[in-house]
Formats: sequence, C-alpha cells, structure tokens
Amino acid sequence: MKGSLIWNLQRYSSLLILLYLLYVIGFIVNSEDQINFFTWSDFFLSFQSRIFTSLVCFLIVLHSFIGLWTVGTDYLTERTLGFLSKSLSKIAVLIQRTYLFTFIVLGIVYLIVILYIIWI
Amino acid sequence: MFGKKLHVSLYRYNPEEDKFPYMKKYIIEKPEKDIMVLDLLHLLKEEDQSVSYRRSCREGVCGSDGMNINGKNGLACITPISSVIKKNSIELRPLPGLPVIRDLVVDMTEFYAQYEKIKPFLQNETTAPEQERLQSPEERDKLDGLYECILCACCSTSCPSFWWNPDKFVGPAALLQAYRFLADSRDLKTEERLEALSDPFSVYRCHGIMNCVSVCPKGLNPNKAIGEIKSMLHKNKKDIIASDRI
Repeated sequence: MKGSLIWNLQRYSSLLILLYLLYVIGFIVNSEDQINFFTWSDFFLSFQSRIFTSLVCFLIVLHSFIGLWTVGTDYLTERTLGFLSKSLSKIAVLIQRTYLFTFIVLGIVYLIVILYIIWI
Repeated sequence: MFGKKLHVSLYRYNPEEDKFPYMKKYIIEKPEKDIMVLDLLHLLKEEDQSVSYRRSCREGVCGSDGMNINGKNGLACITPISSVIKKNSIELRPLPGLPVIRDLVVDMTEFYAQYEKIKPFLQNETTAPEQERLQSPEERDKLDGLYECILCACCSTSCPSFWWNPDKFVGPAALLQAYRFLADSRDLKTEERLEALSDPFSVYRCHGIMNCVSVCPKGLNPNKAIGEIKSMLHKNKKDIIASDRI
C-alpha cells in the first residue's frame, strides 16, 4: 500500500470527524426548542444523521487503526523489544501480529455494535 | 571564564573487555581559554590512551566526530565547551540508536545503507553535452540548503523513527539527499526516485518532530526537504514527469 494513501486517509478522516463534531454542535447551538430526549432522538434517527454517524464511526475505526498500526510497527519490533529482553525480541513478530489482530477484531466489533445501534 | 576543575562523564565500552557499557568520570584541569569538545577529548586521550573516537578534519567538514554532547547530537570539533557545559560538567555519549563499536565509535552501516538506497548520484541517460549540463541560476538555487550535508548522521540518530526502524525509514540525512536529486533539474529519474520512496515507511515515518533541524551542525532543514518530497508524492505523476522534461 502506498504511504501517501495511508497519510491521506488519516488526515482526511480526522477532518471528517471534526466536521461531524461541528454538525452535532451545530444542532445543539441552532436548536430553537429546549433539547430533550425526543428532539435528540429525532436528530440522530434522521436519515442523514444515520448515514453521517455510520460513516464517521467507520472513519474513527480506520483512523485509530492507522495510528495503532504505526505505534505497533514502531515499538513492537525485533529491535525495540530487544531493548527490553532477548527472549521478547525472538517472538516480536508474533507479538506484533497479535497486537494488530486484537485491534482489527476490536475495530470490527465496535463497528458492528455501532451500526446495530444506529440502524436496527 | 571557568572554575578550576572540569568533570567529564564519558561513555565507555570495549566489547572485548566490558560486558556492559558504563559512564567513566574524568576530572581534568579546566583550560584557560574556551576550547572545542574535540580538543577536550584530546586532553582526555592524553590522560587515558584507551579512549576511542573518530575525528579527521577538526573543522566541521568531514562529519567524523558526530556525538551526543550533554544530550544533544553535534560535531565535537565545532562545539565550544562553553556552549554545552552544565554545572561544570560535560557528558559525552556516542550517537544514539546505532550499534557501538567502541566508546564513541558507532557502526554506521545502517545509516550508509539508507544513503545508498536513495541512489545519491545524478541520473541522466541523455547524451552528455560537450562541456557540462547547464542549469539556470534559479534551478541552481533550488539545491542550496541541500548539497551542504556532510553526512555526519547527527540528524538521523536524533530521530526516534530512525531509531525504531533504521532498516525501513530512510532517515532525515538520506531524505535530504533524496530531495537534493529530486530538485535537480539535470536529474531525469524523478518518477523512479519517488516510486522508491512511496511505501509507508521510507518517507512517511517522519512525523515532523524536527529533532533533525534542531541538531544539524550545518544549519540545514531536512524536515522541509521531507515535506517537499511528500508534496511531490501527492502530486500527479504525469505533472512531475512533464516538469522534468521542460
């Protein structure tokens, strides 16, 4: 995969997450009536909010994974674990793969739960 | 300008004798005038012949004596002790992140391997003119701040990304040189050079913390060069090739 693609994904996803935050703040600020359970539910259950929330949740998972992948490939390598102990260094690949696999699973579960809450 | 005694803490490691590296304390008479850190090492070597370090030109041109001086990388030969001395003491360590051969001498194989990777030579397969390949003054100006690098490794060895992935991340010194050839109007392998740097590690492991800029003894800005490479990587390839042909 190209480095520029990963770089762009991380930057543009953070911009869209910021846009989502502004979208929610905009609703709170512009809301004419007092916000209660019903107005809040109506806002989040509207079609555009559901689409936007789903997209942003996907981007949060993607953005986080890129960050965690960067951390994992920096600090969970044969070299860096070797600073701690030689035995850890020998199983560095296994540790790094386990670390990445864990976050992939957590990301997928997070996304499924969020999509379930939003759409079902 | 100084008190009577100077405390020098020196990183010592001889793999043939020492199981682990250690810091050895030296107390020497303070010189009457301000001297360079390299001169201080000469004084130490007079006292202890086993002290090992690299040096050559002693005027900031060869880049041999890069080391960590009181926590900051720099060239010993052009660093006055007055600029680094803290509480009458100086701590000298080898460049961080590279394997230590002995005392302040590090193994720079990984550093040079990255330099080799960027193909640091002009690539132009067109027929050479009778005299030389000409450049306009504006084209030549683009190379200022790039060609002056002396490869002392102070920048790359102050970069955490290079510490963690010295085999994958090219490092600030080699990237500065990569941009030196990307920016050269006479070099025609721009697309190939960019392709070789397009993976997620070679350039994109730079997170712009700017340690390289802070330590460069020649006052260069590798971070700016890395930013320029990233901009070129993001541009349309056809545009880059077209600009090469102009």
